[in-house]
Amino acid sequence: MAEQRKLWIKRVVNVGVPLLLVALVFYLGNQKGFTWQQYAQLVVDGVRGGAIYALIALGFVTVYNVTGIINFAQGAFVMLGAMLAATVYELPLPFGDGWRLVVAFVTAVLLTTLVGVLIERLTIYPARHSTPLTLIIITVGVYIAIQGIALLVWGTNALSFPAFTTLGTVDKTIRVGGVVLKAQSFWIWGTTAVILVLLAWFFDRTMLGKGLRACAINRQAARLMGISTHRMSMLSFALAAALGAIGGIVLAPVTRPIYDMGLRLGLKGFVAAIMGGLVSSPAAVLGGLLLGVVENVAAGVTKSGIKDIFAFIILILILLFRPQGILSKAQETEKV
Amino acid sequence: MKAKNRLLLVIALITMALLLVACGGETATPTPEPPAEEPTAAPEEPTAAPEEQPAEEATEAPAEMVEGTPYKIGFVAAITGPGSSLGVPERNTAQMLAEQWKDGIIGPDGVHHDVEVIILDSESNPDTAASAVSRLINEEQVDVLVAGTLSGNSLAMVPLATEAQVPMISMASARSIIQDPETGETRAWIFKTPQENGHSARWQAEYLKNLGVSTVCYLYENSGYGQDTLANGEAAFSEAGIEIVYSDTFERTDTEFPQMSSVQSSGCEAVVVGAIPPGASMVMVALRDFVPDLPVLQGHGVCNSTFIELAPEAVEGTPLPCGRLLVASDLPDDDPQKPVLLKYIEDYTSFTNGEPVSTFGGHAYDALLWAHEALSSLEDGMSLAERRAAVRDYIENNIKDWPGTGGVFNITPEDHLGLEYTGLTFVKVENGQFVYFPPEQW
Repeated sequence: MAEQRKLWIKRVVNVGVPLLLVALVFYLGNQKGFTWQQYAQLVVDGVRGGAIYALIALGFVTVYNVTGIINFAQGAFVMLGAMLAATVYELPLPFGDGWRLVVAFVTAVLLTTLVGVLIERLTIYPARHSTPLTLIIITVGVYIAIQGIALLVWGTNALSFPAFTTLGTVDKTIRVGGVVLKAQSFWIWGTTAVILVLLAWFFDRTMLGKGLRACAINRQAARLMGISTHRMSMLSFALAAALGAIGGIVLAPVTRPIYDMGLRLGLKGFVAAIMGGLVSSPAAVLGGLLLGVVENVAAGVTKSGIKDIFAFIILILILLFRPQGILSKAQETEKV
Repeated sequence: MKAKNRLLLVIALITMALLLVACGGETATPTPEPPAEEPTAAPEEPTAAPEEQPAEEATEAPAEMVEGTPYKIGFVAAITGPGSSLGVPERNTAQMLAEQWKDGIIGPDGVHHDVEVIILDSESNPDTAASAVSRLINEEQVDVLVAGTLSGNSLAMVPLATEAQVPMISMASARSIIQDPETGETRAWIFKTPQENGHSARWQAEYLKNLGVSTVCYLYENSGYGQDTLANGEAAFSEAGIEIVYSDTFERTDTEFPQMSSVQSSGCEAVVVGAIPPGASMVMVALRDFVPDLPVLQGHGVCNSTFIELAPEAVEGTPLPCGRLLVASDLPDDDPQKPVLLKYIEDYTSFTNGEPVSTFGGHAYDALLWAHEALSSLEDGMSLAERRAAVRDYIENNIKDWPGTGGVFNITPEDHLGLEYTGLTFVKVENGQFVYFPPEQW
């Protein structure tokens, strides 16, 4: 009997609380005189920001699965991707704008990946016998160091990177019944989708990917099977760096890359990864999208100045009540 | 599972601490430049051979040329760190003037004094700024300080200068630097050269009144500067009968602007933005997408080329108040500032091999020229404390109708800035340039 009552209370909470929150959003929005157009706009923009959070969260999940470390330098990869791409694009290369963009994209991803490998080799590998907490603090240090170097190299001024569609600072704008859609948003969504498919293929079909998964499931057993866990650790950092860089580059046209952009994005990506339970890629993507929407809608109907508060309220609530993530059931942890 | 949760909670706390640190101020950003104690830019060394040079120049009795106490001007700017885009032009200006002053000063009594400008870096950090100023006051024993690129740094130095009774001229804009915000008293030893947000707001109010607008939306950056623009905007707009129907903040690195929905639904007739680039440029892009027909005004925080470069199409046509430095050649010939501005631009570009001038360098220029003029008025034979007091008195009483780069200054014992709102002028962005846009053309 008591069991059943508990279950009922749980169900009521699970359905009632979200409904209440949605009602609250509409109440606050109506106070401000929002029409459906404003709500739609807030959601669409939120999905765009969320797609970026999702890409960053994928990096967190990859590194966490293989090494057990939460890599706070992930935000630095995002910043490096955007800054390097903007810098390479400005170089006087003998191609048209479109090709320069491609070259900038590829170079920035490769360089950032190299940085990811170097970070793993120079800071994580020598300390591999330390506790995860030590390693996590190391990554915080790495983040601060990279941001400092970026400040020295690029200074405090923001750079600019052209929109992929128009190759200019002005992006193509599509208006659907008053809702403003930027062409770059489609690039961001498309990139996230392609990356998800590629990752699924990589982890399911390739030897390397399977090795990574084996490490994630059981490091000891993986090593006994002849998989080098050190190489896998390096690979996971390379992958995370590439994912972060790609996120940074597709985001670059809608913002203006600046040396300290990584912190906020890295932390939001971390919240998204936690929402997905830190171990599951699809859940992390969902977490990212959800975070983006919740944050943007909540900021829209209240004060935008407190936007970040919502992300961290979600973080605390998830850690307290659903540490296994929003998707998976308790105790059941699906890896990668 | 439990142990893991605890670890995650700890990590969550770390992340939040990181974010708070990041938001709490520019101070936390690391600047891996090592020399904290060394002056980053070596000051000119005029001590080498000062006696021979003035021998020819001194007018009446070259043989009896007397060598007086050397004068020292202490200069602290945010040469590295987040404030460096402001601090570097200030440093360049100080180096340029030190070069121009290498022959020293001849006082009213005909005594020659060497002038040394000692340049230190505040690293955009209030603590470093304070220790640099203590060092200048106590060890270098400077006669006058020109110090403080950022308002926070300047405020950290104010009590030190006041206590040691050293005149200090700040290059940062906040009113509270020269006036105690609680008592409303003018701080006796502190002066400043930059125009204020209040002046900017007054111009915006005039322009909005001219447009016939009665309701505005105010978007400002989540920073001390942004909040100050809003506070001044509220005061100036309500005086002009303009109501702020919606105000909200945004972050410098925001990519989505949920504020736009509220701007649309609030029905305001114009938008005023209080921010610096890149945030100011990005918010312009969003505003042009969502409310293309509303007039948008910016404040004088965006009076630099970065604002235009980051979003040239979106900012085109934006009207805003700015210092006259940016539109010096467009000014009418009878403008008292025009010769000063043109001279500064020419000197600065030739000294730096073609770097563009910025208004921040101009603030340093005005401040250093006050200090120099005050030192030139001193008789020889004064003690350090007497010299410091005399410099303070000179600036307070003798900077009248004084055309500088920031405006025509009229310093009084009550007002240690001495500018009307007309210290700024009105410009607009046209073909990717700031052009002069005086009220007659509105």
